[in-house]
Amino acid sequence: MTNKYDVVVIGSGVVGSSIAYHLSEKKDKEILVLDQSYPLSGTSGSTQAWVWVHNKTPAWYGELSMLSAELYPFLERKIGDVEYKRTGGIAPFFNEADRESARRLAEKQAEVGIDIDVLTREQVLEKEPALSANIAGATFSKIDGNVNPFRLVELYIKAAKKNHVQFSFYNPVMDIKRNNGMFEITTEKDVFIAKQIVLATGPWTREVGKLLGVDIPVKQVRGQILVTEPLAPLIKYTIAGMRQADNGEILIGYSKEEVGYDRRTTLDVIQDTAKMAVDYIPALAKANIVRCFAGVRVIPNDGYPIVGPIPTIDNAYIAVMHSGITLSPLVGTLMTELLTDGETSIDLKNLQLDRFNEFKSFV
Amino acid sequence: MDDSTIICKCEEINVAEIEQAIQSGAHTFDDIKRLTRCGMGPCQAKVCSNLVRQVLRESLHKPMGEISLPRMRMPLKPTRIAALAGQEDSSSVISLFDETAPKAGDEES
Repeated sequence: MTNKYDVVVIGSGVVGSSIAYHLSEKKDKEILVLDQSYPLSGTSGSTQAWVWVHNKTPAWYGELSMLSAELYPFLERKIGDVEYKRTGGIAPFFNEADRESARRLAEKQAEVGIDIDVLTREQVLEKEPALSANIAGATFSKIDGNVNPFRLVELYIKAAKKNHVQFSFYNPVMDIKRNNGMFEITTEKDVFIAKQIVLATGPWTREVGKLLGVDIPVKQVRGQILVTEPLAPLIKYTIAGMRQADNGEILIGYSKEEVGYDRRTTLDVIQDTAKMAVDYIPALAKANIVRCFAGVRVIPNDGYPIVGPIPTIDNAYIAVMHSGITLSPLVGTLMTELLTDGETSIDLKNLQLDRFNEFKSFV
Repeated sequence: MDDSTIICKCEEINVAEIEQAIQSGAHTFDDIKRLTRCGMGPCQAKVCSNLVRQVLRESLHKPMGEISLPRMRMPLKPTRIAALAGQEDSSSVISLFDETAPKAGDEES
């Protein structure tokens, strides 16, 4: 392993490994990916992994999610079976009064080409008979789906390795210095030199950003998820709140708590999530929960992805977002364009780091 | 144990699959679990835990004491959702629809 690279990507989660893989397709850069731990031990391995589009607002954000979802079938042909399923997505509502905001959502998303149907109770139950008869209706779109995050990240990394990307796991970054226009990255095991550096550090972005001299406005949000025993096919669609995996397990949960890096599961949220499960799908009352897990996700302070150059530091780039699973194929593609040509096919102006008033740079 | 010996009976994972995960850089039971699903089945690693640690010890040449145990997950024993379902609503469990649907008066953006 040489110590000089064209690009060093910090973080080998779904975002970092996608960037490394897409960049390696060009085969003209020496690339290294660093990770403090082992892939899937952080956020990318603790998610329901919806590829979710239709409720992402405002419409430009929905459009970005849609473009990324569109890339999944091609990605799968390139890197292998990631168990991507475009099931269609259902977001139920329980009050008839919500139909108006559902219609408004459909109208706004139609402007960017996202097709949403606002369904009556009968129409939803016809599609997904297991849903509770207490729902008033739902928004539905064919574009939503889900993926197996373990297969996805593993295959991104395998495909990148095939294209000669180097990976160094269990190797936290301790310091980053700039030296004659290059980055000198000191890790626990070694020192690496890079022309370009990419931060794909998810919930740890604040800490790693500080090594570079920038304060990046992101927060950590914990989500807790319940996993059932494998069940016979019960739900066909990806439902806002749960999905059934290929092996029959149903993953349930939609909770948000700001508790820093604490990844414990708590009985109160587990109980409330179980109640949500039964409220949505009454038949689940009889299903067994085998385990619960929690993940710490990153949410930029205004909720939208941060993708692009770090404005105050030449050759430093950032890609941090909440919906990394949904957006990874697109973000990998755009970052490849940016690092290779300096411009992207899709305008990144909404995603720039300097949109934040609280963005600070000490260099 | 030879390569084809099943270590995780819930997910039918054999010794060769565990060794392959270790070769690709996995250092802990939890790393192996995420790559192979070993230990994710209904028994929650009660059967395979020490067998996997044994393979790790042999492959990494470390004493057993340095091979960590898998992370234990609630509820430890399969439990019916009906038994878990609480009565009160939590502020942290939310509805995606409520959270994202535009309300009357929302600014155009």
